[in-house]
Amino acid sequence: MTGSFLSRNPSVPVMLGAILALVFAVTVFSEAMGGGLSTSFVKTLGMTLCLALAALAMDLVWGYAGILSLGNIAFFGLGGYMIGMWLMAARTRDVVTANLAAQPIPPTPSEIDAAVAGQIFGVVGSDSFPLVWAFSGSLAAQLALVVLVPAALAAVFGWLAFRARVTGVYLSILTQAMTLALALWLFQNDSGLRGNNGLSGLQNIPGAEGVPQAEVALWFLWGSAAALALGYLLSAWLVSGKFGAVLRGIRDNESRVRFLGYPVEGYKLAIFTLSAAITGVAGALYYPQAGIVNPAEMMPIASIYLAVWVAIGGRGRLYGAVIGAVAVSLVSSFFTSGRLPDLDLGPVRLVWVDWWLVMLGAGFVAVTLLAPKGLGGLVDLWSRRRGADRHGADLGPDAGALREQEAEA
Amino acid sequence: MRRMTRRALGVLALALCAGTAAAGPMQDLLQRNRALIEESSRRTIAPAIEAVATSGLPQAQQVLRAWQDKALAIDAAGRFWIAGEGAPLDPEGELAAPEGDLDRIKPNSGIRALLGTALVSFQLTDPDPARRMAGLDSILRDPEPELLAPLRASMAGETDPAIAARKERLERLLTMRFGEDEAARVAAIEALSGDISVEARGALNPLLATRRVAGPAGETPEGNLAARLVPGADGFGHAAAYAMLVDAGLAPPRPTDAQIRDALAANIEAGRVAGVPVAQLGDPGRRAAAYDALAGQGLVPPRVDEAQVEAALAAHGFHEIYLEPSAAVTDAARRALAAIDTKVTAMKGVDLGLDALSLASIYFLAAIGLAVTFGVMGVINMAHGEFIMMGAYTAYLVQQLVPDRTLSLIAALPAAFVVTFAAGVAMERLVIRHLYHRPLETLLATFGISIALQQLAKIAFGTQARPLTAPDWLGGAWIMNDVVGISHIRIAIFVLALMFLGFFLFLMKRTRLGLETRAVTQNPGMAASAGIDPGRVNMLTFGLGSGIAGIAGVAIGLYAKVTSEMGADYIVQSFMTVVVGGVGNIWGTLAGAAMIGGLQKAIETANPSNTLAAQTYMILVVILFIQFRPRGIVALRGRAAGD
Repeated sequence: MTGSFLSRNPSVPVMLGAILALVFAVTVFSEAMGGGLSTSFVKTLGMTLCLALAALAMDLVWGYAGILSLGNIAFFGLGGYMIGMWLMAARTRDVVTANLAAQPIPPTPSEIDAAVAGQIFGVVGSDSFPLVWAFSGSLAAQLALVVLVPAALAAVFGWLAFRARVTGVYLSILTQAMTLALALWLFQNDSGLRGNNGLSGLQNIPGAEGVPQAEVALWFLWGSAAALALGYLLSAWLVSGKFGAVLRGIRDNESRVRFLGYPVEGYKLAIFTLSAAITGVAGALYYPQAGIVNPAEMMPIASIYLAVWVAIGGRGRLYGAVIGAVAVSLVSSFFTSGRLPDLDLGPVRLVWVDWWLVMLGAGFVAVTLLAPKGLGGLVDLWSRRRGADRHGADLGPDAGALREQEAEA
Repeated sequence: MRRMTRRALGVLALALCAGTAAAGPMQDLLQRNRALIEESSRRTIAPAIEAVATSGLPQAQQVLRAWQDKALAIDAAGRFWIAGEGAPLDPEGELAAPEGDLDRIKPNSGIRALLGTALVSFQLTDPDPARRMAGLDSILRDPEPELLAPLRASMAGETDPAIAARKERLERLLTMRFGEDEAARVAAIEALSGDISVEARGALNPLLATRRVAGPAGETPEGNLAARLVPGADGFGHAAAYAMLVDAGLAPPRPTDAQIRDALAANIEAGRVAGVPVAQLGDPGRRAAAYDALAGQGLVPPRVDEAQVEAALAAHGFHEIYLEPSAAVTDAARRALAAIDTKVTAMKGVDLGLDALSLASIYFLAAIGLAVTFGVMGVINMAHGEFIMMGAYTAYLVQQLVPDRTLSLIAALPAAFVVTFAAGVAMERLVIRHLYHRPLETLLATFGISIALQQLAKIAFGTQARPLTAPDWLGGAWIMNDVVGISHIRIAIFVLALMFLGFFLFLMKRTRLGLETRAVTQNPGMAASAGIDPGRVNMLTFGLGSGIAGIAGVAIGLYAKVTSEMGADYIVQSFMTVVVGGVGNIWGTLAGAAMIGGLQKAIETANPSNTLAAQTYMILVVILFIQFRPRGIVALRGRAAGD
């Protein structure tokens, strides 16, 4: 734990520089500034940065604390729902007020409320605001909830799970079950969040009706880049200090750290909650760019994608998570965009949109088997970093611990 | 006018040919009632129908039916004919030639109903039991007071015991509603007490139909009182109570907010409504003031505020009155329904138990393969659901090749096992073997395999669901009574689950492979020193677990549809079954499946409108359950636990 922050984290200036360069280049060439980059591509880049932030938070819990949380996508979606509630309520209120102003008699406040509620909840057969929308009128409150709700869910769930000493694959499956429970709850019409319709029209920012979407896309790109940069700094500061050392100790041998007198549960709970809060922020920035958030986004399969990005990028290193998320989601949107011509291989016709998932699955197995360090391992080749020589022994006896083969591969 | 002439001509013709026309007894009978028949009025027709029905003539039924079917006709000579399909018959049922055009008698619906009632007594004494049953069914569908007499009359001569019992029931159901005196009706109701059939409940419920009346407070309305209603309680809201007062003319209607707004809009004068500037009408207080001013001018009905509503409600009493006037009958019906309810609840419990059992069997089948791989080898196989899907698609392909449903099912079970066994062994050799010490990575690698397999299936078979048809002998259901029933497929799945439990126990406790598997589970190193090849054992165990998943896929495909995503629907439940049950123990899996299946059904019953909520609550309960028993219901202790 010696040296300056930067000397302990050589990746930080590189990553911040890369983010800055990307933002600068995209801004200069964007449609809003008269360049050739389409608005949808700018949005895709902005969303990719949000996914990278979510992957970063995933790496904190999985790569550093050894908790393979499959619940992070739930926090991501919750962040989106929290900001979506304000966006949708405020925007609908603007539209409804404009409509009612055309009537001969000016509307009373309760009439406006009823009209807004009817507009938003008409699709689920309701005409009044449910309790969960109590703060939807206030941007500040909903912004606070973006962080608080995922963090509170993570704190309660983590407290229950860690207290019962649920670890390893059990914990993964429990977090998976939590995600599924939340998604199923949101799918109901009477959950108060519009059932499977989700929240829509989020790309329209209230109070910015006159601003073209090309410009709004840039705002969100800057916001996402700033969030990723701040998240990266925070994570780097956390894991390079004493807190990070204890976390890695827990990952490699939980019992040993506990016997050394560290409150293991507290550390795990802290990092899990922090990760949930960061993921919530990422979701809150992602969904206004996507325009719609619905419970299908939180089905269990999505939660595993987060883990896949981190694994492909290289877990246990912050830049690995970012690289993995950016690489996989950009390649994915390239293959599924339909721009790639189909390949005719005699009996089989290779439709990339269909075969992309097969390739992703197979590629993922290959990375797990052949390159456990993921894409981040390439950096080691260049920096000639070597794993510890433990003469073939495990790095820790715990079933979830990093093994020497992994560290070396 | 034409008809009158024809009728006059007919009478003349009858008079002329009375001696020569071969008139049978039915023709005579009809001729005697001809005036009534031709008048065709519901008020006067009864004696004519009665005469035919009670004539005792063998053709009576045929004539009545023809009449009802608008096939009774009169020819130019004034004689009656039955003009059904084909050549016209005379009422004695003999072929003959009518004179001139046939004029059909068209009874109106009231007369047809009377004819139908008259026909019922024929139907109830028909020599063909099927016809008698059909007659009873039609009475049940459409009970009428008039049917009681013919039904009772037919009961004495009934020979078939099943039909006799049914007639007796029906007689009770009718007596209950239309019986002549109170005692008979009460007796009939009491005889039905505890009868859980849908028809008994359907007959009892209308007896308890009520209507609501509002009147001055303190006054009890006339009639058979069911309950006193208190506004604001028991789902009887203030708004509903006030609406009743308005309907009864006991209170002035309350202008709604929308009506107030429209009234204000209609009375805008020079930017003001009753002196209030329009711009201020967004304020509720100003709006009320403006409306009150309009009401004061008599332009609009006055506003009714909350206090007035309360006062009006307090000044009136609300009661529910039975439509049935006799208190003895409604009391008896209430008692009988209460008794029936108790019994139905118990039966529903039994039905729920059966449902839960069958769901538990499905989860057990889906989870047992997972329990082998997860429990015995500590390996998470996210692709387990895709093995289930593979088994189902294998069965689908077999069904395309073998047209006979029974044979194809028999062939599909081993085929599914072989295919998924091979896939499992291949996966173990190629992927899992290298990841034994990295359980979390196994989870991710098998997930990669899972999405690849799922997408491959989607490419190969399309997104459309493929049907897997069960043979006919599996198609029906075992129905115990109107409440309890279970389909044969679910019974078969239960039997299959039991067979696998037995097979698995035999394999683990009585065979060499089982012994070696248990040894490798407890301590791979020691097992290897004792001469067991852990690699081979792991491979076979994994193949076995996958093979069982394939067979579960066939069973699941039979009762659900085969899609590329069917595995994903079961994977989380299967994992929860294994986790809740406890790892590494077949009894644990069984207990886990029973708990998950029972819990899901119980929550679904408590909240029947919302299956999604049921699943949510179930998962929450499971998460809480893990708090108290982190190692599952059946936790291994000591060395077998592996730590």
